[in-house]
Amino acid sequence: MKFISFIKLAAATSCLISMLSLAEINLSGFASINAGKVLSGTGVEHYGVPPTFLADYPIVSAYSEEWDMAPESLFGLQITADLNDGLTAIAQLVGRGVDDYSPKFEWAYLSYDINENWTVQAGRKRLPLFYYSDFYDVGYAYVWMRAPADNYTWQIFNYNGINLMYNTDLGDWSLATNLYAGKEEDKENKLLGDFFFGDTTKEIWKDMMGGVINLSKDWFETRFTYMQYTNERDIGGEQVMWGGKDSRDGKFFGAAFNVDFDNWFILSEINRLDLEFDGNLDTNMITFGYRINNLTPFIVYSSMKQKGDGVVDGENHNTTSVGLRWDFHDAAAFKIQYDDVKDNSHDFAVAGDSKSLSFGVDLVF
Amino acid sequence: MNAYKMLVITMLVLSQSAFAEVAVIVNSANNNNIDAKLVKKIYLGKTKAFSDGGKVKVYTLPSSQDDTEYFRKKALKKSNSQFKSYWSKLAFTGKGTPATELDTAAEIIAAIKKDPKAIGFVNSSDVNDEVRVVLNY
Repeated sequence: MKFISFIKLAAATSCLISMLSLAEINLSGFASINAGKVLSGTGVEHYGVPPTFLADYPIVSAYSEEWDMAPESLFGLQITADLNDGLTAIAQLVGRGVDDYSPKFEWAYLSYDINENWTVQAGRKRLPLFYYSDFYDVGYAYVWMRAPADNYTWQIFNYNGINLMYNTDLGDWSLATNLYAGKEEDKENKLLGDFFFGDTTKEIWKDMMGGVINLSKDWFETRFTYMQYTNERDIGGEQVMWGGKDSRDGKFFGAAFNVDFDNWFILSEINRLDLEFDGNLDTNMITFGYRINNLTPFIVYSSMKQKGDGVVDGENHNTTSVGLRWDFHDAAAFKIQYDDVKDNSHDFAVAGDSKSLSFGVDLVF
Repeated sequence: MNAYKMLVITMLVLSQSAFAEVAVIVNSANNNNIDAKLVKKIYLGKTKAFSDGGKVKVYTLPSSQDDTEYFRKKALKKSNSQFKSYWSKLAFTGKGTPATELDTAAEIIAAIKKDPKAIGFVNSSDVNDEVRVVLNY
């Protein structure tokens, strides 16, 4: 009897092992270890904000006048389970210095290649609003210390939903497009709660629908995007009302143009969020860079300006940055950057003017 | 006459070592027209199939090998770190799967021999007649 149950157990175990071995599991990841400080800054006296450099809005990476490594350091692990025949399950765990490195699942989705042109994905993904939004955490993939803070200001950066991708060739051009729909409910929004309203804020973006068209050819790439959503908000347990309604609509438009010619490159983005009762929020960015072997010096200007009916003194800030990326290793880059932020609004001042220095290492594995 | 022959042979040898350093290879049953533009698109994840359909299986040698660095520079116009940076954007956003890395030319040739949808590159001196060379860099 005992022997038979042993056989049963062995059979069950080998079944389980063969089922598990159907999936080929791959681990990959990225990390950034950064440090920075404000060299001089005004802060925002009337809101009680000390000299601060807000390097990243959504996760509130704020540097102060003391050297600090927590704001932007992070460690990400991607688990890819290849289940064959075009089906993969992918999850990304990210631990951030601002959250004491406690890991959170930022991405968790299934991806299925219908054929060589069409792919459908479902689950939790990064919201692809701006050009750099969906690889924002992978510092190694871009030249700067961080995607320009003035642009990447939106409080919601993930969504739960469906994404349909289509890729094809158009002569010498490559076309990559995607359409997505979904929802995100952030029970304790960090940017709105910690930084703007000073009270627990629940932020909901629902009925999100958007699309991206990316066209590229050799040294030129352009990307166009549109997204619309309905916003609901709850501050300290109180539903926010806009013109007597408990929700409002937002429409996001964006265009990016990148030129990469020999050792020169230009990166640019123009975006507008048209948000009911907040007017238009325009975000622009331009970067020039030049590669000299393993060194890439660059200069960036980015801005955010709020305007529209009834907006008198809206959000208005810009940053001029210079920096250097040094690819000292095949899978790691050292970066250093100087940022000069001008905050021009009184009522909608975010963190005031500041001049800061930050540096760090980005790597992928 | 002999001197002329010598010169021709020397030139041939020189031209081989100077121009045919890395060969892009596919399965011998693969009759698709594969040019430099297509090779670039395949290795940058922009094209996922040959013209007769079906998903391409892409192989690469490790970054640490000279042939890999040479291939990326010549065929893709990217340094190792530019290549890695480019692919980390695709790999961490679910837009592409990086090429499968094999350690030696022999392993790449063996994999391509077995798979009509595979593509790879090896040093020209490692090529044999079991695979079809589509381009030399």
